Amino acid sequence: MAGLANTFGRGVMTNHFIDYKNSDVILMIGSNSAENHPQAMRWILKAKQNKGAKLIVADPRLTKSAAFADIHLRHRPGTDIALLNGMINYILQNNLYFHDYVVNYTNASYLVNPDFGFHDGVFSGAGTKDGKFTYDTKSWQYQTEEDKIKKDPTLQDPYCVFQLLKKHVSRYDSKTVSRITGVPEEIFLKACALYASTGKPDKAGNVIYAMGITQHTYGSQNVRAIAMLQLLLGNIGICGGGVNAQRGESNVQGSTDMAMLSHLIPGYLSVPSAVAHPTLKDYLSKETPESGYWANKPKFLVSMLKAFYGEQATQENDFCYAWLPKHDGKNRTHMGIFDFMAKGAVKGMFAWGQNPAVGGPTAAEERKAMEKLDWLVVVDLFETETAAFWRRPGANPKGIKTEVFFLPAAMSYEKEGTITNSGRWIQYRWKAVDPPGECKSDLWIADRLFKAVKKEYQQNGGKFPAPILQMLWDYDKPGRQEPDLDRVATEINGYNVATREPLASFALLKEDGTTACGNWIYGGYWFEDKEAKVPAAKRRVREDKAGLGLYPRWAFSWPVNRRIVYNRCSCDPAGKPWNPQAVLARWDGAKWITNDVPDFGIKDLKTGDPVPPEKSAAAPFIMLPEGQGRLFAPTVGDGPLPEHYEPVESPVQNILSKQQNNPLAVRFNGSAAKLAETGSAKYPYIATTHRLIEHYQSGAVTRNCPWLAEIAPHMFVSISPKLAQKLNIKTGDEVLVESARGQIICKASVLPVVKPLLIDGKEIEVVAMPWHWGYKALVTGPSANELTPSVGDPLTSIPEYKAFLVNIRKAK
Amino acid sequence: MSKGVLVDVTRCMGCKSCQVACKSWNDLPANVPDVPEFSDGLNSPAETNGYTYTTVAIRTVAREDDYVLRFCKRQCMHCLEPACVSACFARALQRDPQTGAVVYNQNMCVGCRYCMLACPFNIPKFQWDKTFPIIGKCQFCFDPNGKLNRIGQGLAPACVRTCPTSALQFGEREALLKEARERIKKNPAYIKHIYGEKEIGGTAWLYISDTPLEIFGFRQDLGTRPLPEYTASYLKFTPYVAVGWTILLTALYLYTKRREAVEEEKKSAQG
Repeated sequence: MAGLANTFGRGVMTNHFIDYKNSDVILMIGSNSAENHPQAMRWILKAKQNKGAKLIVADPRLTKSAAFADIHLRHRPGTDIALLNGMINYILQNNLYFHDYVVNYTNASYLVNPDFGFHDGVFSGAGTKDGKFTYDTKSWQYQTEEDKIKKDPTLQDPYCVFQLLKKHVSRYDSKTVSRITGVPEEIFLKACALYASTGKPDKAGNVIYAMGITQHTYGSQNVRAIAMLQLLLGNIGICGGGVNAQRGESNVQGSTDMAMLSHLIPGYLSVPSAVAHPTLKDYLSKETPESGYWANKPKFLVSMLKAFYGEQATQENDFCYAWLPKHDGKNRTHMGIFDFMAKGAVKGMFAWGQNPAVGGPTAAEERKAMEKLDWLVVVDLFETETAAFWRRPGANPKGIKTEVFFLPAAMSYEKEGTITNSGRWIQYRWKAVDPPGECKSDLWIADRLFKAVKKEYQQNGGKFPAPILQMLWDYDKPGRQEPDLDRVATEINGYNVATREPLASFALLKEDGTTACGNWIYGGYWFEDKEAKVPAAKRRVREDKAGLGLYPRWAFSWPVNRRIVYNRCSCDPAGKPWNPQAVLARWDGAKWITNDVPDFGIKDLKTGDPVPPEKSAAAPFIMLPEGQGRLFAPTVGDGPLPEHYEPVESPVQNILSKQQNNPLAVRFNGSAAKLAETGSAKYPYIATTHRLIEHYQSGAVTRNCPWLAEIAPHMFVSISPKLAQKLNIKTGDEVLVESARGQIICKASVLPVVKPLLIDGKEIEVVAMPWHWGYKALVTGPSANELTPSVGDPLTSIPEYKAFLVNIRKAK
Repeated sequence: MSKGVLVDVTRCMGCKSCQVACKSWNDLPANVPDVPEFSDGLNSPAETNGYTYTTVAIRTVAREDDYVLRFCKRQCMHCLEPACVSACFARALQRDPQTGAVVYNQNMCVGCRYCMLACPFNIPKFQWDKTFPIIGKCQFCFDPNGKLNRIGQGLAPACVRTCPTSALQFGEREALLKEARERIKKNPAYIKHIYGEKEIGGTAWLYISDTPLEIFGFRQDLGTRPLPEYTASYLKFTPYVAVGWTILLTALYLYTKRREAVEEEKKSAQG
């Protein structure tokens, strides 16, 4: 998500699932829709059946999605940047980019500081601080003249982004790409030619990705490479195009929107820092850019504080900004928390719908770290491996002092509320059945928990009681056990403080305290659809006048019900659609005609006059201060351009530079930090993890569902027929898989699902494991995450689950 | 006019939704905790059984210099002239002339398992672990007097209803044949054959594919003559064969169980 936000302005899937039917070529990389997003596959197959769309699947495994591929690129796990930069190089070398789009809508023409440089895998500004690698990003910034960015629309200046990019990717010729990735050169070139065909104005190329792209020590850079490829081909903001990030759970988009990330508060505002933002003034002055839509940030933050603290929040007391928790700058992500836990620095934990004992990297160490907790609360449907960590195989329950509480939760069909899908659709779901026994909705649990904490503060005091005691918490509904969902939703949506009426849009938010809003990006989702007579998120109108699958009155798509973001880019600067067959908006000479909610100003807010197309053409990416898509991103901390590095555990040396790994990769020094050396003889095979359609995440629910348990009951590892022959292993044999972190025993599946890849002249085997098993539920088995490393991406700290080293042998 | 389902192998992605929907609609128990044996990580269970009326077969297929995966749902074909019906002297198996569903009635069944021998698709399966076992097989969601009825009310079978990619299509058999011919005509990737159109006199379930169906276990040697025509003259022996067969198979089952028990004891003694 960091890669997307730094390129386009928002960390979101740009289009939506139904829109896939409008694509001409689909590049699926690091995603396996047929297995993990089967409903998305339906629209891909429609594109293939109805308009002859082509599908390229880039995946080391023969996946179910690859079954439908016109071209299947089996690239080595962790070499996506080499592949994508190679494609970009092919496009630039052969002049296949969409010139008018690139000149007008990207920062290709911007001039960069002449001090910018790149040498042997490292960008200019490298240094060390406290023994750690750092980048000073000063030399990555744009050249300015009187506060204006200098540009060269001819794209010839050696310091312009276009030329810098061209030079940077020139090293990724097809031969080098093949040596790194293992994809035969001719297949790679075939894929390049096919995908580059979408650089024409009336063609749409769609890149679909998922965890295969993000779960690397350069995951954000992987995403950046995809986003840049799409900008060069003019595939952003159009029907059938986009960078479509398919999320790992049905409501992950919703959870990140609500700030289930340690560096954010709701609506993608950065979390206030204890050092940089002690006061509201500090925060607003440092965090609010002068241009772009984020210039409205003060309205969003003040309205959020009003939603949190109600009448207590006034202009005089900075809307109680002091009560907002501040970040201490330490690593508070998943791996960071478990690192602190292992060191005894975390006393208690809520595992709320999460099962780190199976899903966390180096899972055996995470289980051990939990022994250091005084208390653990698990909120889930079944007793998960996390809830049972104290009596896991090999543990001594008597020696573990942790007090464990289990709160049984209602399943999604046993409660009401909204979920937000990958395509940003916020859809209300009605309750189908009552939850069994004492199971409660998460909202009920959160409500009672808050009230209990508040009572404790009231009775016994505490260090900092005000934020708890004064929190606005008025969701009770007389005569009902469940909190009033309508009140919660209205608060998230935003309301007029005086009337408590929901607001139609976040455009109405104020920074004077007259509006309250829990999460500005959801503005309008709970505003009534006058015809359907329900809040927007509850409506289900099957109406698609434009015939593009936009369905504007089906639920609500944030922001402001816009289905395809950055849609100004679907027209040329004069407002003429690039593709007359797929019109999202067009300028008819006097005004804008729109099919989707425009992602640009079409009417002057004060006068109501139409805004001419030239104005919006200058800044089609409204969330970025410079207003144009970033081929070169000065804001990305680990490099303005993506560069190939090896996974932290790799069988080979980086052939492009001396810099073997991302110099800023997140590493730890505890017992979870064990790593195999490069080219390790002890762990010679590349391993990757994946999911199966039969199970969901850690299997906490699906392995407890008999009908799902029986269709995928056994943990297994896929190995190639060639490796199997060498190790004398047959399908069904028990094998021992071992990494520097641990070992597991599971069944062997010998099929050409994986096969050895030719990496720089040397044949290297790849093995693959699903990670859905644990020691609880109806069917049990070891978790592949007992083997995965605890290293991560510098921007997001997402662990490198997708590429590491193992050894395999027949179990005795 | 009878009903049918067109299975288009080129549209199936192996999601197994049909497999689970079948169990859900028909209230069939799962093989848990006595789970199916590991087959290869893709297929589970490897074949239909007394409690599993349908499975998705998943195979790797060599293509040019690499492989592809292909998926195919298997279940009762609902023959127009079913061998199992003519083999069943107890009349536990009947073909409904309206819908074309070949339906098994457990109350009539004497447990002879002759249907199992008669079926060229290896479909009827026995509940070997039960004291009073019955046959398990796809009923085409036809249950005119019970709660499991779907096609009798004009609804698509549970498996078809749940298929996300329209790999399964329910309708009048004649209309489906027309649709199948059109698809084959339009796209040269298809093998020019509709499996089930003529095989053993025709089946309600029809298959089109870009990959030879043998890999999923479909026999190619069946011919177009309905099987009951071959068997009619031998049917008078059925009751004798049935009794003898029951004794033999039950004995074999008990023998296998015993061996497993001994094996278990050995293991625990070692452990």
